[in-house]
Amino acid sequence: MKVKGFLKDVGGASRVTKARLAAFARADSGPVTSDPIAEVAAAWHPGRLTLRVAQIRRASKTAKTVRFVRADGGELPYFYAGQFIALEFPLGDTVISRPYSISSAPYEARTPKGYVEITVRRSRGDGFMADYINDTLREGDTVTGTLGCGQFYFEPLRDSRRIVALAGGTGITPFASMAKEIAHGTLDVDLTVLFGSVSSDDIILKEELEACAGPHVRIVHVLSGEEPGWTGERGFLSAELIRKYSPDGASYFICGPQAMYTFLRGELKKLEVPARRVRFEVFGTPKDISRFEGFPQEEKEAVHRLTVVRGIREDVIPARASESLAVALERAGIRIETACRSGECGLCRTKVLSGRVFVCPEGDGRRAADKEFGYVHACSAYPVSDVKIKIPIL
Amino acid sequence: MDFYRDHYDVIVIGGALAGLSSALMLADKGLDVLVLERHNLPGGVSTSFVRGGIEIEAALHEMMSIGPRDARLKVGKFFDDMGVDIDWLKVPECYHASLPDLEVTLHPGFKTFAGEIESAVPGTYGKVMKLLELCHTVFDSVNELSVHPMSKVQMLLKHEAFVKTAGYSTKEVLDTFDLPQKALDLLAPYWIYVGSGFEELPFTIYAVLMADYVGYGSYIPRHFSHEMSLKMAERAEAMGVQIEYRQQVEKILVKDKKAYGVRTKRGDEIHSDYVICSAYPNKVYTSMIEPASEVPAAAFKMVNGRRLSLSAFSVILILDRPAEELNIRDYSIFRGDTMDTDVLYRDLAGLGPYRYLTCICHNYANPEATPPGTCSFSVTVLPQADAWKSVTADRYDEVKHRIARQVISDMSAYFGTDLLEHVLEAVIETPMTIARYTGAWNGCIYGYAHTMDDHIVARLQTAEEEKFIERLEFSGAHQISGDGMGPAVTNGRKAAKNVLDDIRKRKEAAAK
Repeated sequence: MKVKGFLKDVGGASRVTKARLAAFARADSGPVTSDPIAEVAAAWHPGRLTLRVAQIRRASKTAKTVRFVRADGGELPYFYAGQFIALEFPLGDTVISRPYSISSAPYEARTPKGYVEITVRRSRGDGFMADYINDTLREGDTVTGTLGCGQFYFEPLRDSRRIVALAGGTGITPFASMAKEIAHGTLDVDLTVLFGSVSSDDIILKEELEACAGPHVRIVHVLSGEEPGWTGERGFLSAELIRKYSPDGASYFICGPQAMYTFLRGELKKLEVPARRVRFEVFGTPKDISRFEGFPQEEKEAVHRLTVVRGIREDVIPARASESLAVALERAGIRIETACRSGECGLCRTKVLSGRVFVCPEGDGRRAADKEFGYVHACSAYPVSDVKIKIPIL
Repeated sequence: MDFYRDHYDVIVIGGALAGLSSALMLADKGLDVLVLERHNLPGGVSTSFVRGGIEIEAALHEMMSIGPRDARLKVGKFFDDMGVDIDWLKVPECYHASLPDLEVTLHPGFKTFAGEIESAVPGTYGKVMKLLELCHTVFDSVNELSVHPMSKVQMLLKHEAFVKTAGYSTKEVLDTFDLPQKALDLLAPYWIYVGSGFEELPFTIYAVLMADYVGYGSYIPRHFSHEMSLKMAERAEAMGVQIEYRQQVEKILVKDKKAYGVRTKRGDEIHSDYVICSAYPNKVYTSMIEPASEVPAAAFKMVNGRRLSLSAFSVILILDRPAEELNIRDYSIFRGDTMDTDVLYRDLAGLGPYRYLTCICHNYANPEATPPGTCSFSVTVLPQADAWKSVTADRYDEVKHRIARQVISDMSAYFGTDLLEHVLEAVIETPMTIARYTGAWNGCIYGYAHTMDDHIVARLQTAEEEKFIERLEFSGAHQISGDGMGPAVTNGRKAAKNVLDDIRKRKEAAAK
């Protein structure tokens, strides 16, 4: 065995050791802390921020827009038009988390007094947080929030530059963000918004949307209610209506109430839109989990014991079978991080140590190996017996 | 303190492959171990995520050192010994090399591999076999010497080839085989990932990787690398290890040059006899040791005197057709207009266009990797960590999309299929993505570059002198065995072994 000669060959190990020590001897003897990669990562994803309510204003007869700025005066993160913010509201002894699509544009967060806005409609009595935001939240209050979350945005590798937005009610908010960004010249897509509302006097963000209309943004209002004198489109977002306003090769972005999704799946099928051209925003957990096949009907009204393991500590709290594990934890004042509240993003990944849970089959975003080992996403898993779970210490 | 015990034998910072390997080995010896992981799941980059209902591999191309069930190699055997039962699937080929004038698919097994090179470049079989056999001899020596150190004289007698090639670069040793350029091109493509061109890459590293990869092939877990990470974590917990997610360690507590615990971002101060740390030494010495005065200048000289290795940029696509219909015909394709690793390495110092692309289609090892009628296809380049330092937050989106578009257009042209007309899901991963999820220093996944002045043989020789703080061990890609998922496991085991050796020494000293 010879590479260059016996002596040179056998001296190799000493030679490379000397070379290494020589490199150390030449090097700086003080700390070099620079990590610009981490800085950019933090500018996009700084984690949870403390936000102050800077302004609350009316967005329609029944909805309000809430503007947030960073409480410490710092810069807001970058995000894409269409993404949501996961807000945490301190209420009494606990913290309630909800996702809201950001209705302001990314560029508005980059201005000197940068802000993000959400637009929320008062509920019909069943939306606790929606009513809290409309009735109780005040300018000057602080909350915490994480943004930008979710996948509901224009991704040039995936989506057509011709986007048809199908929006119902407050489902308009991600498209308001897109429309403003396009009008500002910082998002290069053509957007047609088919916006379903009940009546013309309760169209959310009407003026702001119309201010964006131009060569690249078209807003089409569609009213479902009877209204004398209305000359615009009427009815639902039917296949016929969608075809009428669709350019060739469009991507369809859909955001609105759950019933609309079921309807639109059928309509888009009629139009033979390929799967890759259809994007649904997550819509939260269903109001009534017991309507899903496989949910044990006898459990509908049941309340179980939920044992919560954090580190070496265990707490026992009550948990209703009709509510997700995340809700049970929040009711008991135990913090859990959640973002999408739809089972999809996995931030609330939780290990079930024992007991049975029912996982909402819609939007089940779990990994295969996680399923095998009993992991669930707490926002979309319902206790149907006494259950023991392990969650992160927060 | 509510959530933690008063004291642990060992605290492991980081629940990725290295940290979990340490934890498994220590728990196996009966130690009380606490693992603190910043993310909400184990694995670091060895993970997966779900988009549009489809699970997507985040990083793993293939695992080496696994071997078939009845003839496991080092890493595969460790998993078996620890009771970590992973559903391994064999990757069907080594790689398809694609050059302007050469298209060759190479399969594992020395004779097969050399035979396929012979078909493409006649007259090379004997030389390639000789090279592969030399690689294997060095590989065997490294495996034995990492377990049984011996004197230099003994080493020269028993491990001659290892000793005599240790002082040379890959290029210097390959040159002695007098192979035609085309054959060299087929022997080169994979190894750019270790972080150096052949002029700088120690032959020892080339030999070990080549012997392992070509000799025994590679594997992937059925349910992506998350299966591997999760099964390690689950097994560790079953063995009594406490694993806590979403716990970022901010400080390693040190007194009189001895580590005695950690403090988390949440504010928990937790004590232990030993700390095993997966964070880069650069980060540890510059910002994690408390008090900072416990860090000697020599520690800074060591980290500053080393070159960070590569990071990763990947575009992962889920496509709405089976792979064959899109003309994607191989598990892995290495495509470049040259295979000169030194030229390619310099290319990786920039922000593209990148001319050397590594492509993976998981469906060829695992037909069920994606739903019926679809496939996954990823293109990866491994830029030098420094390359992305000039990218500011406001340019980040534009830069990543520009590069993504370039690499996908290049591969579309190669396949004769516009891949962008078939995208169900698209994900771009950058050094920033890695920094975000793992906290890795400068988004670097591969530790320090293997070079002639940071040679694995030298790393072994000076390991003791580089322990600046007692009872603090490091594990991860930045440690002796270097980068890749297999070596991460080996690095984790080494850190655990150091702890066990130290405990034994102290017991012996106490007994005297």
